[in-house]
Amino acid sequence: MSNSHLFLKSGFPRAPLQNGLGRYVCQLQRITLKFCKNNGSSRGMRDFIENHLLDFAKENPGIVVYVKPRRHRTPVLVGEYLNGDREWLSCRNSTQEEISKWIDLLKTQNGSSSSLRLRKMWHTDVPSIQGPWTPFLLRSPEAQDQKYPSEESSKPLDIPQTATEKLIELFRQQQLEAGESANEVLSKKRAE
Amino acid sequence: MSFLAQTVRQVLRQVPNRSLALTSAMRSLSISPAFHQQNKPAPSSVDASAIAKDQLKECQSICERINKQVAKSEQGRLFAVVHLCGKQFKITPGDIILVEGYWPPTIGDEISLDKVLLAGARDFTLVGRPILEPGLVSVKATVVEKTLTHTKTHFRKKRRKQYMRINFQRSPNTMIRINSIELARPVDAKTEPESEPSKRLF
Repeated sequence: MSNSHLFLKSGFPRAPLQNGLGRYVCQLQRITLKFCKNNGSSRGMRDFIENHLLDFAKENPGIVVYVKPRRHRTPVLVGEYLNGDREWLSCRNSTQEEISKWIDLLKTQNGSSSSLRLRKMWHTDVPSIQGPWTPFLLRSPEAQDQKYPSEESSKPLDIPQTATEKLIELFRQQQLEAGESANEVLSKKRAE
Repeated sequence: MSFLAQTVRQVLRQVPNRSLALTSAMRSLSISPAFHQQNKPAPSSVDASAIAKDQLKECQSICERINKQVAKSEQGRLFAVVHLCGKQFKITPGDIILVEGYWPPTIGDEISLDKVLLAGARDFTLVGRPILEPGLVSVKATVVEKTLTHTKTHFRKKRRKQYMRINFQRSPNTMIRINSIELARPVDAKTEPESEPSKRLF
């Protein structure tokens, strides 16, 4: 982040007036196209007005379009929104296609959103439906009255059988097969 | 006997691969025939089909309870986890989610999000593997806004090399409002693939 971002506002995604819940209302109310009739920097704007402006106005009956010629000034696009925002765009030396793209952007946004850093890509009024997770969720009841420190729960769960233990086990197995006599042998060896 | 065991232990210390050496050492050590000492567990006498039948019965009873609740519309608010443009969002009706980058749908478009990974209510959860079968849960949404992000500065500089570049960029963002999440048809214990799967999967 650079120094210009130090005073950048940050926020969370919002849509004005529950827009889109029942029906969708286009937020752009007025658009003003200011241009000069003979200056070269307004050429793209003049082309747009000649070729596409009527189609745009017909497609969007909810948007009021003003066209304002003025002498020797740069061409400008101004959009006014339902929430009172006003977005001003300079279109100096821009072509017809660029202007139609910018107008499309003005049409599709909810307000002048140029300077808001979004902290989340998600907004909800109901954060949890099954209840928030806690460490005690889905734990066995025995875990509740466990006394600490406890020998059992401080041991790792997966201690592998050592070779000695395995040998002893094998020996026991043989003992069972051979009978009681081997037991005596073991006790004798232990005594030694 | 114990003497033998000691020698084996010494051998074991030298051999790096313990487990293999251990089993072979045990074999050599043993007096009883080798087939007695095989590590395989004894074949269980439990009938597998009986367990499967029990599970199926339990599944069916759970599904019936869910369907009963949904039929009486007592399930309350539903939520879902949907996959949209490479990201997963946990959504419930009335939520706003944002899609970053270029995305064709424009404002006012009503779309249905088809890749539902999970759907749930207060008392039950349907988990997809990895997605729920298409047509089970219908998630409807409206595109509310398409705008550009704030201006991001992309600045790079190499010290002592007379190299400095600064670029500014704004990428498109699309805001979507979730309208409704509904169970389109009753939940079935036997998951049969639908005859005609949905064509568009966002």
